[in-house]
Parts: sequence; C-alpha cells; structure tokens
Amino acid sequence: MKSPPYPLIELDLSAPLDRHRATVLPEWIDWNGHMNVGFYVVAFDKATDTLCEQFGCSWDYTRLEIGMTFVLEAHVTYEQEVKQGDPLRITTQILDHDAKRLHYMHAMYHATEGYLAATNELMLMNIDYPSRRSAPWPGFAMERIEKLAAAHAGLPRPQQAGRLIGIRRK
Amino acid sequence: MLESLPYELPELVTRAPLDTHRSTVLPEWVDWNGHMNLAFYVTAFDQASGAFMRNVGLGRRYVDGKLGMTFVLETHVTYDREMRGGAPMRFTTQLLERDAKKVHLYHEMFHAEQGYLAATNEVIVMNIDYASRRSAPWPAPVAERLEVLWQAHKDLPRPAKAGRVMGLRRKQADAD
Repeated sequence: MKSPPYPLIELDLSAPLDRHRATVLPEWIDWNGHMNVGFYVVAFDKATDTLCEQFGCSWDYTRLEIGMTFVLEAHVTYEQEVKQGDPLRITTQILDHDAKRLHYMHAMYHATEGYLAATNELMLMNIDYPSRRSAPWPGFAMERIEKLAAAHAGLPRPQQAGRLIGIRRK
Repeated sequence: MLESLPYELPELVTRAPLDTHRSTVLPEWVDWNGHMNLAFYVTAFDQASGAFMRNVGLGRRYVDGKLGMTFVLETHVTYDREMRGGAPMRFTTQLLERDAKKVHLYHEMFHAEQGYLAATNEVIVMNIDYASRRSAPWPAPVAERLEVLWQAHKDLPRPAKAGRVMGLRRKQADAD
C-alpha cells in the first residue's frame, strides 16, 4: 500500500523520538504504594502508539481494518519507583528493523526530577488485519521506518538493550 | 534479617514446577486488537509471582504488617499466542535461581482448556525492607522455604525460552 486512506502526521526525525508525555494514574498504583509492574507496560504501550503514529500504523490503521501491530517479546528494567501523579517523559530509540518487524527501546523518565524510572525493549510485528498473520510493513510505513531508523542510527546503543535476565553470582 | 514472621505460614507446596495459580482474562485487559494487551500479561504473571511468594510466606500480611515488600527488578515476556477476553489461564512456575535477597522465576501461561502455551515470563523479584524501602535479605523462615523449593526445582530442565536476548537474527531470517 503506497499511501493510507488517512493523513499521516509530520515526521519527527529528532533522535531519540521525544514526544510522549503521561501522568501516573491513581489506578496504576498497587499495595506497595508505587506504579505496579504491569502499568509500566501500559504506559510504555501508549508510547508505542506515539511511535506507530510516526509511520501511520496506529489507531486509524486498525480502525479501518488495514492492519495491526503485535508485540512478540518485551523486556522491562525497573530502575526507580514512580508514584501517583508523577509526570512521565518517554523517549524511543529504534534499534533495528526488517520487512515485518521493528526492534526498539523506550526509556521512561520522571519528567521534572529527570531520573530514569524504567526501560522497555520491544519487538513489534506488522499483522495483516483479515488473516491475523504477519505481513510486510505497508509501503508508506516502511518508507518512514527507514527514515526514522537512519535518524537513530548514530545514537549509542542503550546500556539496557539486549539484556539477559539472571542473578549474577559474585 | 527478620528471624521470624508474626503469622502462620501456609502449607508449603513443593511440586516442581509450582502449578497452583489459575486466572481469567478480564474484559478490561482486552485492547483494540481484540486480545489481551501485552501489559496485562505482565499483570497476570505478576499474580503468578504473588502465588509463588505466598507459598514461601510473603503474602499480603507481609506488607500490611509493615514487615517488608517484594519488588520486581526486571521482567522478560515472550508472547507466543493470543488470549481473548474470558479465556481461562493456568500457570506453572519454576525457580531458576535464588540468593540471599532475590529469586529468578520462570512462568509459563497456558490456555487452561485448549492447553496451548500463550506466553512465558522470566522475572527477578527482590525482598525489600518496609521502613527503608531498600533491599534486604529474605526473612529466615522464607530463606528456609526457598532452600526446600530449590532442592525440588534445581534438577528440572532449563526452559528453552529462558535466558533470551532480543534481536532480529538476520541470518536465520535470510535462510527462511
């Protein structure tokens, strides 16, 4: 598909992508008095929507039954607690891509105190709407993914990318 | 280190892997793609971690009694197959490693009726002192139970999906 039946937003080639803002909602807090592990991923998933808007594969893409994006794998590092009402800033760096997939990393910061709260590495796959099976990115999306990837290519690889989980013995 | 806990601990389940946790995909966990959103797999797995922690004596009373908490440091999920709203889930949990303050757990989520593997989750959970909100050694009775569980779990085969590093593996893709 060369162009989608809806307008695309202006491409933002700042690296990393630094558009997503959010606030920690009361219902995201657990009995430990901080944002629960699952809701970090809710917050990160909304940053994925912000990323997908860049290449036209967000809500309109699914609403018009063209396609969907499914996450295949996710890795979260929890670096520092955030509490109810805290403002969040989430940046996104593209690490790799191929004909069907996108490998990227979000970093969540406390927007006013500046500290890193968490990171989320993800593998996203394009899905054909009717068959619910993997499919190549549509032409309009691939063109933009390549521009974004080129803009991000010079960034240093995040320290938390490619992590293996384990308890490191001394 | 806490030498004891001021409540009675549940009977220890030593079956390996642990297979006591069951749950259901809630309607509010379903997203615009018509399946359980990735975040709520993490929530569902966190409840399976809760079942493991209750088995060693660290449930709600541990937090409500202001003794301690458990925090997740890191989590890795593989999404193997979709789950729809209302789907029944069955979990298994394997203890992969433990030390004085942490456990490394591996969960598998299955569709409880159709039997297929829906997702896997590797997670590191750390014990936290309530007052300081800093890491602390497991309470003594918990450390004792973890050793009993370790003996039961240590000879289980290492799961194939444990210890994954994310990447596109171009060579394999090119060969396809």
